[in-house]
Amino acid sequence: MNRKSFINQSGRWIMLGAMAYLTGHIFFRRKVSASGKYVWQIDPYKCNQCGRCATQCVRAVSAVKCVHAFQLCGYCDLCGGYFKPNTLNLTTGAENRLCPTGALTRKFVEEPFFEYTIDEDLCNGCGKCVKGCSSFGNGSLQLQIRHNLCQNCNECSIARLCPSDAISRVPVESAYQIKGDFKNPAVKETR
Amino acid sequence: MHKDGIRTHMMTRRIIISFLILLSLAIITLVVLDIRKSRTDRRPANPYDLNLDELAEVDPSLVRYQETLDLKLDDSEKKGIAYGMGKIWLIGENYLLVLSPEGVMLGKIPLPESPYCITVYHSDIYVGFKNKIRVYDPDGRETGNWQVAGDSTLLTSLAARDSLLFAADAGNRRVLRFSTGGSYLGEFDGRREAGDLHGFIVPSGWFDLAFAPDGELWVVNPGLHALENYTTEGKLRGYWEKGSTGIEGFSGCCGPAHIAFLPDGSFVTSEKGMVRIKVHRASGELESVVAPPALFENGYYAPDLAVGDRGEIFALDFDRKSIRIFERKTE
Repeated sequence: MNRKSFINQSGRWIMLGAMAYLTGHIFFRRKVSASGKYVWQIDPYKCNQCGRCATQCVRAVSAVKCVHAFQLCGYCDLCGGYFKPNTLNLTTGAENRLCPTGALTRKFVEEPFFEYTIDEDLCNGCGKCVKGCSSFGNGSLQLQIRHNLCQNCNECSIARLCPSDAISRVPVESAYQIKGDFKNPAVKETR
Repeated sequence: MHKDGIRTHMMTRRIIISFLILLSLAIITLVVLDIRKSRTDRRPANPYDLNLDELAEVDPSLVRYQETLDLKLDDSEKKGIAYGMGKIWLIGENYLLVLSPEGVMLGKIPLPESPYCITVYHSDIYVGFKNKIRVYDPDGRETGNWQVAGDSTLLTSLAARDSLLFAADAGNRRVLRFSTGGSYLGEFDGRREAGDLHGFIVPSGWFDLAFAPDGELWVVNPGLHALENYTTEGKLRGYWEKGSTGIEGFSGCCGPAHIAFLPDGSFVTSEKGMVRIKVHRASGELESVVAPPALFENGYYAPDLAVGDRGEIFALDFDRKSIRIFERKTE
């Protein structure tokens, strides 16, 4: 085989391989975007709240934020996402609270129920509250990549190091992957 | 001149090859370093890691039960377990399975819809659906059924004694009282006094009740981490409660998720989240640990419980889809 025919043969095989890959990609990829646009998102069923989302994102404050699926919440006084484990007093004192930035706040509803909300400006996506809620509560607190903050990098630096492979590209039409009910609140576009 | 040209050409070629080799080595080194850096055990310490391993540790001397059988079931969703007439009764997506205590399959009875809870009393099998109760005989024949009123009714537990059947309704936070024939006799919501703002606090779909061997009705008040003893008319007679992430109490927002009784009247309890099964004395004091969290690695759901004639504990592990049998260690 001379050089020319070798290049010809190789070119054919590469083209064939590329076509096979594309065909497989189209037929077997489970989630296909109608618009052809994809964004990075966290699968809450896979996330193990390792805390890396807070430190690995290219944004100075991570684009990952805690979101609250209120439909799943028990509105409990003793909230595993709000209080440190083994907290003696269920008060709002910083020494009792799990969130390192004070982003998770609670409001009295009626005895003995409290509503928990997240101040996204303060949240750094560390997932401590999410781990507490998943371990001791209903799992209503979940980590999500907020698309008004995410730069949608070609390679997500968090996904690269995620120990549970919880981050993947999803169709832009279903940009949030939440257990239970979550209504995307109106967010200020930052870019 | 010609020789010089060849020499120069050879030299240039050598330099290019050397450069390419060095470049390849540099790239390989960078890739290897990057891969090594990415390895889980080589990453820098994570300042935001919430380590709950310490809470899951249990003093081994407290674990007085051992797992004697792990009976794997098929992959379909499992809903609940009960023990009666010397057999294990297990409900799944739309069927009722009958097994021997050793795990031998004795029968499979189709159900018309997806069940939520089950109890066996004498020779009747009561199966609770979302808002309906159906009664079966041991051969799987339906002998009765009735609808349970209420907009958001969600039956999560049944218990029968004498001619009464009690049903826990998590959706409406109430306990319903029926005759075993299906006549509605009343209900109670767990308010301890008339002016109380709340009775049963049910933050999630786990709301259990059971009869103790002495005939006393016990209802879990999960939001208060309490076990409450009621008369059959629904009057609170007594209670004990213990909320704690420690082994002596019930952890999380709500618990215990499931209860059962040992022949001596002790409570067997299971908790979700940090999954564990324990035995509490009738007074509420922790007696022993049946299964520590380490036995439910990556688990979330509290196993449903049933107790056999010899005091063996059947735990329906929803995460692993298996029946795990625990027996007391011989001293």
